[in-house]
Amino acid sequence: MIASVTTWMASAGRRTALGRWPFQLVCLALTLLLADAGSAARAEDEIEFLTGARLSGRVTRIDKQGRQVAFETSLAGRKIERTYPYSRIHAVTYQGQRYVLTPKPDAAPASGSGATGSSASSSRTSGSAAGAADSSETTRRSPADINRLIDDAGRSPPEWFAATPVEHPPGLDLSWPLQPPDKGWNNQKNVGQYIWDIINPNPSRWQSGVRLVHHLMTLHQGQSELLQRDMQTLGTMYFELLQDYPRAAFWLQKSNPDAGKLPGVLLAECYWRLGSKPMALKLLQASRVHPQAIKLLGDMGETETALKLAEALAKAGQPHEAYLLAGDACRLAGRHGQAVSYYEQVLSAPGARNQDYEQRYLGRARDSIQAIRLAEKADVRRVADGTYRDSSPGYSGPVEVEVRVASGRMEAVRVVNHVERQFYSALTETPAQIIRKQSVSGVDTTSRATITSVAIVNATAKALAKGAP
Amino acid sequence: MIDSSSGRMRRLRALVLSLGLALCSAALAGAAARHSEGPDSAWGGGWLAGAASAMLAVTAVSVLAAGLVRADSPALLRLDHFRPFVSRIRRRLEARHTGWLVQAAGRWLPARWLSDDASGRPGIIRRVLQWLGPSVIAAPLRRVVQALCFGLFLLLFFYVCWPYTSRPAPPARSSAGWQLGQLEQQSGEIELLDGEQAEWLVAGQHVYVVDQATQDRSSVASLRVKERDGGRLALSPVQASAIDSLELFLLSDGPWTLHDAPPNAWPTHYADDLAAKEWLPADFFLVIDPLVSLSTAVASRSWVWSLGCAGAILVVCVLIPRGFCGYLCPLGTLIDLFDWSLGRRITRFRLPDQGWWVHIKYYLLLAVMLCALGGVLVSGYVAAIPVITRGMLMLGEPLQSGLLRGWHLVPAPNAGHGVSLALFLAVLGLGLLRPRFWCKYVCPSGAVFSLGNLLRVSQRHVEQSCIHCNKCVEICPFDAIKPDFTTRVTDCTLCQTCAGVCPTQSIKFVERWNDHDLKPHGDPPTHETALGRRGFLSLVGGTGLAVAGSAAMTGATRLWGADLASGNEQLPVRPPGSVPEREFLQMCIRCGECFKACPNNVLQPMGFQQGLDGLWTPHVVADWAGCESSCNACGQVCPTGAIRALPLEEKRVARMGLAIVDQQTCLPLANREACQLCVDECRAAGYDAIEFMQVHTQVDAVGQPLAGTGYLAPVVQADRCVGCGLCQTRCYAVNVKQRHVLVESAIVIEAGEGKEDRLMRGSYLELRRRESSRPAGSPANPEESGSSYFIPDGPDPSTPAVPGTSDGPFGVDEAPGASGPEAPFH
Repeated sequence: MIASVTTWMASAGRRTALGRWPFQLVCLALTLLLADAGSAARAEDEIEFLTGARLSGRVTRIDKQGRQVAFETSLAGRKIERTYPYSRIHAVTYQGQRYVLTPKPDAAPASGSGATGSSASSSRTSGSAAGAADSSETTRRSPADINRLIDDAGRSPPEWFAATPVEHPPGLDLSWPLQPPDKGWNNQKNVGQYIWDIINPNPSRWQSGVRLVHHLMTLHQGQSELLQRDMQTLGTMYFELLQDYPRAAFWLQKSNPDAGKLPGVLLAECYWRLGSKPMALKLLQASRVHPQAIKLLGDMGETETALKLAEALAKAGQPHEAYLLAGDACRLAGRHGQAVSYYEQVLSAPGARNQDYEQRYLGRARDSIQAIRLAEKADVRRVADGTYRDSSPGYSGPVEVEVRVASGRMEAVRVVNHVERQFYSALTETPAQIIRKQSVSGVDTTSRATITSVAIVNATAKALAKGAP
Repeated sequence: MIDSSSGRMRRLRALVLSLGLALCSAALAGAAARHSEGPDSAWGGGWLAGAASAMLAVTAVSVLAAGLVRADSPALLRLDHFRPFVSRIRRRLEARHTGWLVQAAGRWLPARWLSDDASGRPGIIRRVLQWLGPSVIAAPLRRVVQALCFGLFLLLFFYVCWPYTSRPAPPARSSAGWQLGQLEQQSGEIELLDGEQAEWLVAGQHVYVVDQATQDRSSVASLRVKERDGGRLALSPVQASAIDSLELFLLSDGPWTLHDAPPNAWPTHYADDLAAKEWLPADFFLVIDPLVSLSTAVASRSWVWSLGCAGAILVVCVLIPRGFCGYLCPLGTLIDLFDWSLGRRITRFRLPDQGWWVHIKYYLLLAVMLCALGGVLVSGYVAAIPVITRGMLMLGEPLQSGLLRGWHLVPAPNAGHGVSLALFLAVLGLGLLRPRFWCKYVCPSGAVFSLGNLLRVSQRHVEQSCIHCNKCVEICPFDAIKPDFTTRVTDCTLCQTCAGVCPTQSIKFVERWNDHDLKPHGDPPTHETALGRRGFLSLVGGTGLAVAGSAAMTGATRLWGADLASGNEQLPVRPPGSVPEREFLQMCIRCGECFKACPNNVLQPMGFQQGLDGLWTPHVVADWAGCESSCNACGQVCPTGAIRALPLEEKRVARMGLAIVDQQTCLPLANREACQLCVDECRAAGYDAIEFMQVHTQVDAVGQPLAGTGYLAPVVQADRCVGCGLCQTRCYAVNVKQRHVLVESAIVIEAGEGKEDRLMRGSYLELRRRESSRPAGSPANPEESGSSYFIPDGPDPSTPAVPGTSDGPFGVDEAPGASGPEAPFH
């Protein structure tokens, strides 16, 4: 430890004006003395965790490469020594100086912000604390902060990474060409189809799926086209499966996407979720944008822009999707009449290219209209005490919600039954938002889990309507 | 009269002897206690030592009693407990002893209950016993023990092995949305804020804290509520070891969900219920039937834990020869009841006293043991306790289940049931030939005790005062009294009924070598010879028959039995923890105990699907029900160890089979409809062994998949599936029975090589651990070695914005504002 202190003091010395040498020397001597006299001088250092907890003790080792700190402390009367990663530490007070290792969001969101956390899998990332993206409680970060956050997270593997083995069927074609060589569908051979069929439906495989794609990337060194596709896939998986926005942003950035494709919109959303709406908007200012941008703009509060884009998309021949997205945006902005009229346009639009899709669009539109109409009745202040249940169609089946109301307040909103298989974040985040707002209107939907989120909102509205006078 | 000095000598001898015996008994009891705690309690040695200790204690008391009383008829050991010894003395007989039981009764019981000394009027007790029958009043203790044992047997079978008294733990209550307020470093107290209010969150409540977002059940903090103040909750660690619990709050953001029960706990209610009820092993009577363990051990050429128990009962029967048959055996008691209620009324089938049949039991025992030697276990067909257990199973279990749970929950019988029932009724029906015909002449378990009688230390003796009245011969239930009133020592069960009816009290139950005042043999003549011509012929004939019969049985089983060698036979799914199939067939005694203990009749007796080999052995009928994850009953009640008595943690990972999805019929795979019954069921049971696979995805023009098309089909993960069959049950119940969209379940449990674990010994947990540490097919993390985390070069617009790595101790600069403008790192 003394050695590390000395090198630090020495390096400090190099960077300061020569005139302050005597002061530094005194400092050095003092530090050496202190360090010598005891490691005994306990409780000199302090770690502030991102969770808000603080521990005082002694920093015994700093691993800059592995980005972790060994810390000796006593907790509940027992002496322990543990190693904590930078990503969990907000700041360290070391030798009397305070170092911020992972910045906290500027405006710490009120209770419930953590509901966004890092979801389903235990992807513990520096960004998970900063994932809150309520339109009302947006955390703000400067572009420099965000880029540092992204870079910090992206350049280090997730905690589970080393322990996750690379697993795949023996016959998998690891060269993973941009297009499958054969016409047929073979999920034991084609990587993309393997991810679609085997990885995506099974949460337990998400981490190993990410691990596999990273492994494939090492095999594709030097093949820039493949690498770009790999990184884009990796970013999308971090976003959609693990909701690890900093890492998603890192890999999406590296794949250099544009807003005309889904990954570009996802990257914009990462920026917004990490705390910079301007960065997101800048990325979306493109000549061509992907339809998903409509939803993102709506979520960010840019309703007018969203509606303009939606009209353009409807003209371009995808009226169902466009009007549905427009309706959702209006609904989020509280423009209920306009939302209903958009939803009605979905119902009257000409047939879509895919029968299944059309049925789903129509079902969602109908359910949303019903929920808006019920919203009046769903004013919780007028709902009698009790527990109510109702359901609404989600992505792969009905989502059933139970609401407990006591003295004009929603005490609990719980998803009691569902068969959704991805984006579990919606299952905790959306109910948390409803509770916080004490209302079913103005709840923004969890990104990429729109259908599930809307289903929860609609089911809650229907359930509340049951208890209305 | 006997002179007083020899009386004193006898008393001294008795005192010394009983003291020695008592000391030995205490030593053995200590050994037994140590054994029952030791790791090898399954060895059965504890039973043996316990029984020997109890026997020595009883002997000590008997010796002491014999030494202190009955000066007229000296004996070292005296086991009398027939009527005169629990009753008043008869005045006509001089100076007989009044039993200690009678003395105690006279002191403590109301006078009305006892007979009147002066007038000789019988009291209530005597009248009741008289009403019950002559054998009851002659030897009441024996009848009482019989009744208790029969009741105990029924209790063990119908109550202890009735799994439906178990109740699952109530669902855990939870309260979500708690945020970390602060962590008090010194005391380890945690403050949580703003969570969902719940009335059960009171001071002192133990709570289990889980990260709400991850629902990661593997890291759970266990804390106790210290105080609650509105939206603020103070929690304190339960023990000092709860440091790990506290660290959770450092590393995860929450919000936190509080549970009032461990959310990751594996349910144990069936196992707990059985353990709580099993203060005496549920298979108590089965393990003390010596033929069960002896034949199993011979057939499987292995140590069977219940051999210890068989040894114990044989030790007891050294003191009370064939006491098992006279006192304990529930089948004997049932036959007694049958003979009393029905047998004595139907006399047309009665046989004369003696005949060729009197030695059947020895030949049957010989045949059974020869079969066992040949590796075929048939003793369960004829051994006493398996016969009555199976009888109760076939008759009583459906009745109990039907009446208490509903008739639709009783599985349909098969041919095997019919054969078993016929056999049971035949055993009872033999009572029409002679009372307890089965026990006296046929029962091979009884034959084991008869042979054990050669080691007896006590015996029935007749004194010279016998008046040849023949009452004892008439009442003896086991035909154990020869025409000269002496004892057929291999048949006598020491029931003491004969002594109870003896008008002259000439019969005594004393040590084997007692020769005081005995009646001479052969008066009147018995016409029995040691081994005459006919005797020899019958011996040869019987032995020949036994050998031929066992050879035929072994041959038949081999020809028409399980064809394990060929490997092309569909193997039955055996209960969890079953030993390998060949050994299983050699160790399963076919008693039926596991069926009774199995919740929802997952285990059902096989008929003739495996020929004679598999008759009445348990197999899993997963169409009917799946194996409960919280139950390990079948192994606990198995008397031979064919199903190993696994603790629940072991049973959880013991694979009994593997679920196989039918690629043709499974609804999503057949592109018919979405269905995830099996996946949900498997997840709910906690195994989580079935994954999804997207099938029948539609693709667009460029080959990109269309989201939302196709179905999710089940894929069984062989390393996690234990073959419990819950998935099959669900698929069958819904898709076949209820909706009629399938003809048979599309997911079926199969057994066989590689699909199940069949271990004779060793840990299944250990097996799983070994498997998981084995290197996988593909090399694990090939690029991991040495090289660092790979990040390709490429367009990276963020790079310029990223500040360079600082020289600070953490690689970052000192926080702005923490120090002045002259901070060295800026």
